[in-house]
Amino acid sequence: MRCSTISRAARLVLRASFARAGARFAQRHSTAFALALLLAMPAAEASEVQLQAPRAFGYVVGDTLTLEADIRLDPGARLDPASLPQPRKVSSWLDLVSVEITPPLGAVPAGAYRLRMTYQSFFSALEPRSLEIPPWPLTIRDGEARRTLSVPAFRFVVSPLRELVPSHGGNPMALQPDILPAPAPLGPDMKKAGLSAAVAALAALGLALAQGWRPFASGRRPLAAAAREIQRRRAEETPQAYRDALVTLHRAFDASAGRRLLKEDLGAFLEEAPALAPEREDIERLFGASRTAFFGAGIPAARSELPYADLVALSGRLARAERQMPRAALQGTVEEAP
Amino acid sequence: MDVSTGADCDLALWREQALAFEREVGKVVLGQERVIRLLTIAVFARGHVLLEGDVGVGKTTLLKAMARAIGGAYARVEGTIDLMPTDLVYDARIADDGRPRIDPGPLLKRGGDLSIFFFNEINRARPQVHSLLLRLMAEGTVSAFGREEHFPHLQLFADRNRVEREETFELPAAARDRFFMEVQVATPADREARRALIFDPRFHDTERLISEVAEGLLDHRRLGEIARRIQEAIHASPTIADYTIALWDAVRAPHKAGITLPDVRMERLVQGGASPRGLSFLVRAARVRAWLEGRDMIVPEDLRAVFPEVMAHRIFLDPVYEMRRDTLAPALCRAAFDTVPVP
Repeated sequence: MRCSTISRAARLVLRASFARAGARFAQRHSTAFALALLLAMPAAEASEVQLQAPRAFGYVVGDTLTLEADIRLDPGARLDPASLPQPRKVSSWLDLVSVEITPPLGAVPAGAYRLRMTYQSFFSALEPRSLEIPPWPLTIRDGEARRTLSVPAFRFVVSPLRELVPSHGGNPMALQPDILPAPAPLGPDMKKAGLSAAVAALAALGLALAQGWRPFASGRRPLAAAAREIQRRRAEETPQAYRDALVTLHRAFDASAGRRLLKEDLGAFLEEAPALAPEREDIERLFGASRTAFFGAGIPAARSELPYADLVALSGRLARAERQMPRAALQGTVEEAP
Repeated sequence: MDVSTGADCDLALWREQALAFEREVGKVVLGQERVIRLLTIAVFARGHVLLEGDVGVGKTTLLKAMARAIGGAYARVEGTIDLMPTDLVYDARIADDGRPRIDPGPLLKRGGDLSIFFFNEINRARPQVHSLLLRLMAEGTVSAFGREEHFPHLQLFADRNRVEREETFELPAAARDRFFMEVQVATPADREARRALIFDPRFHDTERLISEVAEGLLDHRRLGEIARRIQEAIHASPTIADYTIALWDAVRAPHKAGITLPDVRMERLVQGGASPRGLSFLVRAARVRAWLEGRDMIVPEDLRAVFPEVMAHRIFLDPVYEMRRDTLAPALCRAAFDTVPVP
């Protein structure tokens, strides 16, 4: 457009000089002059806007249209950010909903941009009708020079939502039934949930095994089971509770050793189960107290040797020490003997 | 707990002597600490002992050493197939004057002072001899010269080897039941002890070796009294009584106690035995062991330490399993201790 303006100016200049100078001279030189003028002009014709438009028909009230304009600039030219359209109400039936430019207009000027404008049409047509989204001028700066590039207008056809005259009778203004919601695709989520549940269950199982929780306690972590039983009754300060605690611990040691364990066997047993060796002194005290309780002076004397609180604490320490024992050491059961 | 308090001071002193006795015998019999401990228990429980083992493992040396250390009179008889009871009691011979003479035999020669009577190869003697021994062990008496001889301090040791079975008479169950213990004497397991026994000339001459043992370490006349006092001093709690009875049940009916042995039908294994006398012997032996260990109460370890020797020979196995007694009886005892809960 600018190019044609300049050509016209060149032609006027030519005509004036033609009038002033001799016709022959002018005729001989006019082509060269025009050529010189044309060559002197910057290569402005390179800048252009190309509209990537969607389909131009089949829109109803409320539909959005996205126009994409590819802008190519001359080297050195810059797009004026102030000339970009802003989301706004364009007309009574058209809104510009969003504007997006890539790459963003920043400090580094780019040679090409893509301007993406989303319009929404609110035109409620009674019959198919052509409408126009108006053009939009963009300002290009090249040094001091300013030019205008226009995003072209776009015509499209809007259609009515309903028949003008109902063909089957009834109220044309009646509300249509809602669209049934489509089931959300849950497959991948269900898979992930199932996997997580499996991992959680495995972890819980591992923890239960490691801690000797019920029902994994039976036999495999006998000292842990004994400690739980003793802890449960630690509030009872009766001789019977003390006696039962001793018996419970004896059974746990029996299960641990795979045979009935007597005081004289402790040395050999602690060599088999080195995890318990740090408690050797207290284990010997326990067996000593048990001897006193069952075979000697009785439970009161045993309680002065090993008070109930110490017994309860020892059972807890033994259960903790037992966790260090390898599984193989816990496989033996009394039933398998000898 | 220590027994050396108050009235038990004497017992503590005797315990020192008993341990010294063990050490003394241990000097000449190498690698048999367990056997020596068991025989010491038998001495202080006043029980008769049957020793079993291979030839040449030192049974006789051990008994000679013990007899010397205990003191008192000692008599010894070799069992043979033609030995008759009268040969033990009388010594029939032609005297210097050419006339037949009947003198007291090996049993009577030393009178009532006889402290150890050693019967070698008891299974070579006839049942008649066994019945004489039965009475001697049970009552400590023998009839001779029309009267009854008493042997208040007598302890009988017998031995037999299990290698030969020809021309032997198996001991009747009643006789075996009267033995306090049946002790197996095996070749020493300790390498050093074996080396010494083979290469040290000290062990080649048995007579000289025995003479190294100090004589009369224990007063054999007081042994009976001390044995009684030990039995009174060592306490047996109701729990240990229950435990002993549970063991007894387990041995008599192992299948009910949940004991299993490989390749054995447990409900057929035990036919009978483990008599009440056997159990009383067991508790007697356990008390002596507790005393030797310096305790004033019986604990399960005491029972376990003496159980095979005191009980195994009293358990009568089904004939099918009798030939495997050597392995089955100890296995059954071990299984009983591994199964019956303590306390």
